[in-house]
Amino acid sequence: MKKIFLFLAVLGVLGTGCEDELTIFPEDSLSVPTFYKTEVDFEQAVNGAYVPLRTIYNQSKAYLGEMHSDNTYYARNTAFGATEQQEDVADFAIPTDNGITTNNHVTNIYVDHYAIIARTNQILATIDDAEFDNAAKNNIKGQALFLRSFSYFDLVQFFGSVPMHLVPVLSREDAALPLSSPDDIYTQIIGDLETAISLLPPKSQQDPGRVTSGAARTLLGNIYIVREQWADAETQFQAVVDSNEYELMPNYEDAFSGNSDNKNNIESVFEVQYKEGPEGLNGSFLYNFLPRPMTADEVGAVTGTSNPQPLNGEGNNIPTPDIIAAYEDGDLREDASIQYVTASESFWRDGVYPIIKKYVEPHSLNGNHGMNFPVYRYSEVLLFLAEALEEQGKSGPALTHLNTVRIRAGLGDPVGDLGEAIFRERRVELAFENKRWLDLVRTGRAIDVITAYGNRIKANPNDYYYPEGAEPRGNAFTNISLTFGLPASESSLNPNF
Amino acid sequence: MTKILFGLKTLYFGFALLFTIHAQAQSTAVTGTVTSADDGFGLPGVNVVVKGTTNGTVTDFDGKYSINVQDANATLVFSYIGFTKQEIPLNGQRVVNASMTEDATALDEVVLVGYGTQIKRQVTGSVQTIEAQELADLPVSQVTQKLQGKLAGVQINQTTGKPGQGMSVRIRGQLSVSGGSDPLYVIDGFPISGGINTLNPDEIEDITILKDAASTSLYGSRAANGVVLITTKKGTTGETNVSFNTSTGIQQVPERGRIDMMDAVEFAQFKKEYYEDQGDPVPEIFQDPSQYEGKTNDWYGALLRTSPVQNYNLTITSNKEKLRTAVVAGFFKQDGVVINSDYERYSLRVNLDYNVSDKVRLGFNVAPSYIKDNTPRSDGDRGTGILFNALHTWPIMPIYNEDGTRTTFNRFPADTGNIFSYANWLTSAEQIKNETQDVNILSNAFIEYEPIDGLTVKTSLNAELYNRQYEFFSPSTATYRINRPIPTDAEAIWEDRKDFSYLNENLVTYNKSFGEHNFSVLGGFTYQKFRRDFSRVAADTFADDRLPTIQGAANINRGGTYDSVQEWSLVSFLSRLTYNYKGKYLLTGSIRRDGSSRFGSENRWGNFPSISAGWIASDETFMENQEAISLLKLRASYGVTGNNNIGNYTQYALINNTVNAVFDNEFVPGSAVSSLSNSNLGWETTKQFDIGLDLSLFNDRVSFIYDYYTKNTTNLLYNVQVPRESGFTNFSDNIGEIKFWGHEFALNTVNTTGKFRWTTNANISFNRNEVVSLAEGIDRVYGTFHITQVGKPFGQFYGHLSDGVYLNQQDLDSSPQVPGRSTVGSIKLVDVNGDGVITRGGDEDDRAIMGNPFPDFTYGITNTIKYGNFDFSVIGTGSQGNELLIRHLYSTANLDGVFNLVDGVKYRFRSEENPGRGFYGTTVGGGNVTGIERDWINDRFVADASYFNIRNITLGYTLDGVEKFFKSARIYGSIQNVHIFTKYWGGPNPEVSGESDGDGDGGNLSQGVDLSGYPVPRIFSIGLNLNF
Repeated sequence: MKKIFLFLAVLGVLGTGCEDELTIFPEDSLSVPTFYKTEVDFEQAVNGAYVPLRTIYNQSKAYLGEMHSDNTYYARNTAFGATEQQEDVADFAIPTDNGITTNNHVTNIYVDHYAIIARTNQILATIDDAEFDNAAKNNIKGQALFLRSFSYFDLVQFFGSVPMHLVPVLSREDAALPLSSPDDIYTQIIGDLETAISLLPPKSQQDPGRVTSGAARTLLGNIYIVREQWADAETQFQAVVDSNEYELMPNYEDAFSGNSDNKNNIESVFEVQYKEGPEGLNGSFLYNFLPRPMTADEVGAVTGTSNPQPLNGEGNNIPTPDIIAAYEDGDLREDASIQYVTASESFWRDGVYPIIKKYVEPHSLNGNHGMNFPVYRYSEVLLFLAEALEEQGKSGPALTHLNTVRIRAGLGDPVGDLGEAIFRERRVELAFENKRWLDLVRTGRAIDVITAYGNRIKANPNDYYYPEGAEPRGNAFTNISLTFGLPASESSLNPNF
Repeated sequence: MTKILFGLKTLYFGFALLFTIHAQAQSTAVTGTVTSADDGFGLPGVNVVVKGTTNGTVTDFDGKYSINVQDANATLVFSYIGFTKQEIPLNGQRVVNASMTEDATALDEVVLVGYGTQIKRQVTGSVQTIEAQELADLPVSQVTQKLQGKLAGVQINQTTGKPGQGMSVRIRGQLSVSGGSDPLYVIDGFPISGGINTLNPDEIEDITILKDAASTSLYGSRAANGVVLITTKKGTTGETNVSFNTSTGIQQVPERGRIDMMDAVEFAQFKKEYYEDQGDPVPEIFQDPSQYEGKTNDWYGALLRTSPVQNYNLTITSNKEKLRTAVVAGFFKQDGVVINSDYERYSLRVNLDYNVSDKVRLGFNVAPSYIKDNTPRSDGDRGTGILFNALHTWPIMPIYNEDGTRTTFNRFPADTGNIFSYANWLTSAEQIKNETQDVNILSNAFIEYEPIDGLTVKTSLNAELYNRQYEFFSPSTATYRINRPIPTDAEAIWEDRKDFSYLNENLVTYNKSFGEHNFSVLGGFTYQKFRRDFSRVAADTFADDRLPTIQGAANINRGGTYDSVQEWSLVSFLSRLTYNYKGKYLLTGSIRRDGSSRFGSENRWGNFPSISAGWIASDETFMENQEAISLLKLRASYGVTGNNNIGNYTQYALINNTVNAVFDNEFVPGSAVSSLSNSNLGWETTKQFDIGLDLSLFNDRVSFIYDYYTKNTTNLLYNVQVPRESGFTNFSDNIGEIKFWGHEFALNTVNTTGKFRWTTNANISFNRNEVVSLAEGIDRVYGTFHITQVGKPFGQFYGHLSDGVYLNQQDLDSSPQVPGRSTVGSIKLVDVNGDGVITRGGDEDDRAIMGNPFPDFTYGITNTIKYGNFDFSVIGTGSQGNELLIRHLYSTANLDGVFNLVDGVKYRFRSEENPGRGFYGTTVGGGNVTGIERDWINDRFVADASYFNIRNITLGYTLDGVEKFFKSARIYGSIQNVHIFTKYWGGPNPEVSGESDGDGDGGNLSQGVDLSGYPVPRIFSIGLNLNF
């Protein structure tokens, strides 16, 4: 027996040395305690914070910002089902109950913006403790503050009150916050953007594609426009103009990025960056914006790829007759913004549909392209400035800025009320850039405009891409609301809503 | 019983004339009668052999024999299965009678328990052992297939017919929300890191299943799912034995059970009606359905074939002086019943035991195996599995061109409603390579030292090396996807996985008796470490299909290309004390302490104790007069076990550094925190109570085992969903509780003895579970088709309940509807919450539990008959009350006519006058209407999958007159999966259990989803067993 105990005692001694054997960190990934130390770490972290924008702009933002308005609609394919998520958005029929909805696109926008917020919070919470070059640190902080403010601005415009996370979530208990009012959110992001403006370099000194002080001013100005703080808005936009960092491209169609060239050009204030290729950095929004079904050849005629694949399902973000009619005669932008393609197997008329031309650029891989998506262009800065001035009764300088934009479009002085003219100009200048719905909301026109639009569709569905005999669904245009419901999947996990 | 015996004796008389070998009369004739000591009746069929010769005979139906012997002093050996062998020296006698006693050694039979053995009679836990011999004739590749229906409390399902794959083993219904649920497999004392599907069943001596916590708790944090102990063949005492076993068979998919799909005429008729009902012109190709008479293209059937299976095993066991050896060499080859699928296994095992001295023993086991397996992406959801794709392809789409060549790609004009176009699935199945090659080497070495009597010290070193190479290549001429025109871009995936695990185990056991007090003590320390290196490359766009090399690809798919390392370590201390008094009051206590790298830094060690007690009542004096009762034992046990299948790095907050960005068309690396850390993360804890009864009657002619268990699994590893406003989707925590309970009955009877020996083994198990709690504030978890809800059984089918179709306008107006979508003839769903509107999801959800994937009970029955040289067995297994979700109906009952359809759609609603059978709704209205029936999962997808399967019938015959060449020779014929009795109509395999439902929603929460996978074949085989 003694021997047994001796043996066990020896084993026990061996055993105590085992604690080290029981600590195994993953070899194939880094973990939080070892990361967020160096400049390279933070540079990677801020790069990662941009990433969700690619998803947001590839699909859902266009549906909520553009197709959820009178500018675009879907091209009904009666042979195809399971399309209600998009149709509900375009039809103002998102099932919403108690301010809660299950719509995918609404949910996507929400969670993707919060991904940006969580990533920027992680940077902002740890960067001050890291030791590296101050200029680089300021630049990264400025980008993080911009991105977080940008996300909250989208959220507050689309949803109204939302939870406001400003520090990283570390445990389950911190994950759900109560809703913050729009006023509180605006106060926060206005302050953050003022800081960001001071930290960020101007466009000429920033890596192309990253946000700049000019982008931060434009975002802040946009917030002031929405808040109707016209003088504050004027200050920001005037500063952008005075920075001499931006110009309009001579031709309107050159304002938009090519597949691999003409990116972040002189007119670009901020655009979502994509890259064609196998790295997974590509967009595919052009394909989302095509009617269906299309044969491989028909797709190839648009995309120029060598391996086009047929498209099935239902096409989205198809320009409406309304937006086509909104272009004045002689407006060069119409042909630069809209083209016509054939979907011979479609059941609608002869299958010749308008599509958004701004994003049609030849590329090589099917379903994989590198065009950037514009967020802010200098022409919008000018139109915002014109609007801010006009609202303060400074119609002379307002008209000057408006005409700068119109002249490039081959047009002369506007007719009628200047304020209305600026609003009309925004619609065509910024068509398909996800501005229309939020413009309708902030100017108080949304309910009237959309109600009338819905009535037009119901009266003439065939004009709005319904095949002969097909009708809008019974629930179309039954839920015209200024904000989207909050995602049901979040509501079930957050006791505050 | 006597009557039966008598009848059979009469029957025997005829056979005896046919098969008895009569010894040649040379010298003295010895005669006699062999009787049963039990009842004094004559025993027919007893072997009588002159010792040391091949001279022998068998007794006749009265137990009489006559044999000629040359040596008057020879010894006669009487042997008969189930009875103790007897040797009687002649000593010149001419009449020798023998009285045979039934073999009582079964009572002292030793069974394997964790880290040791115990006398079966004294086991206090719930343990069941199966001798490999009982499983020998089944012509299947995996041990677990052979165990189906044999074990009480163990549900074994064959979820797919892919050779060598798809066995699901659940002991006592154990489930985990997100941790694994497979039992722990221990081969010759080595807990291996994976499953046993690669193990050659012929290497196995016996299999022991440990079910209750008392028997499993010594395996600590890995024991909660139950433990399966496997002992491989050892050199037996006695002479050298060489045996050669082979079988060969053919496999085919029975017609019964294939999904009843429309043929070409029916499909064209459907399409014609579809357009007519819609009021649209009928496309030309559907105008005359009769033109397709006899021209059905059975895409699914075309993928199937009749194919061979063969198995060869050579076993040598020997025991020479101090060295005991067992060598098993095996080759198994199964061509699958789906074209271009095949499976080959080459295996070898060498087990050596050497007695260095009386006190020291050494052992070495090494078992390499190589497996090559190809299955051309047969299983999966629409667009990922070729069988599913083929099932729903239009039967008017031609497999062959008119000139007899294969079509390459089928796409009909859009006005025919053909929005899904297809490659030729035959070509796909033939050309797609989806091959794995496994090399597995399992080895042990040990030294055992017995310094004093009763004390044993044993140290062992075990290693497992496993390498898997996976190669996928889909050439430009084939695809498993849909809507992918041919030629397409060739795609390839290469994977390489290396696992290495080693275990050092140090055990001390000491047995000692003080008078009637018998003790056995075990102490041990073990250390195990595992490492997996995995790498994967995905590439596409090959210049030439003949060169599927990485350098031949134009494009490396970065998202699919990565490598990873997985490691864990486990340090354990274990101890057990077994005590009995007079061999009838039994008590065992054990404890294991596990430290694991998987557990959070604040929660690194766990203790797993158990206690059990038993009482052999039949050994008490007051039971002495109960002649009928040979064993009555009562058992009870309680213990704690764990499940450490929680992932290796789940406790850490990890950085994903492939969150890459692009600026101005330049790639830049990016990163983000991808998970939340939890330093308190631990194992899942299962506390189990078991009470059991072992009863044997009539000299063990009838033995009965009953167990009741109840167990509560707490601290479930669960990815608690957190709101995504946090930037995360979930937080891994130990949370919630599930309660399991059940009853198990096993009955073995020896119905007749003697020459006609008939035994029956039957078992039935009732397993139940209920979710007691989930995370705080969460009372349900949704899957795509499932719900797991507090107060209800786990993973129930969840969706809408249906109530026929809206028969007419009045019915529609007066019933709740889906706003804007319901029409006359469309599916009528039940308004569960009574708000007058049908809603899916959100606060007004009308979904409800619509079915249960778990059976009410499962059962098995095996009958074995030995009659002279014949042996015959029938194995049946069944499951009652379980349901399946027929997932493929979202394609095969898609009322838009996009796919081929199940036959039942013929009887859909067409008009008020022609309302059909109320099961399928109207086709009018397009996706807005039909989409509800198809996309809003409802109870039409759920079907009863109760079944009884005659799993195997084997008839064998042991040859006489072969003694010159063999010790024995036997031939047999066997049919596997003879017939399945079931009402299940969704597919050929009622055992299918979607480990994954095809929508990225896998695991235990989503069981019982039928995607129409690889069918399980019926196998006809013949075999031969030779002993030299």
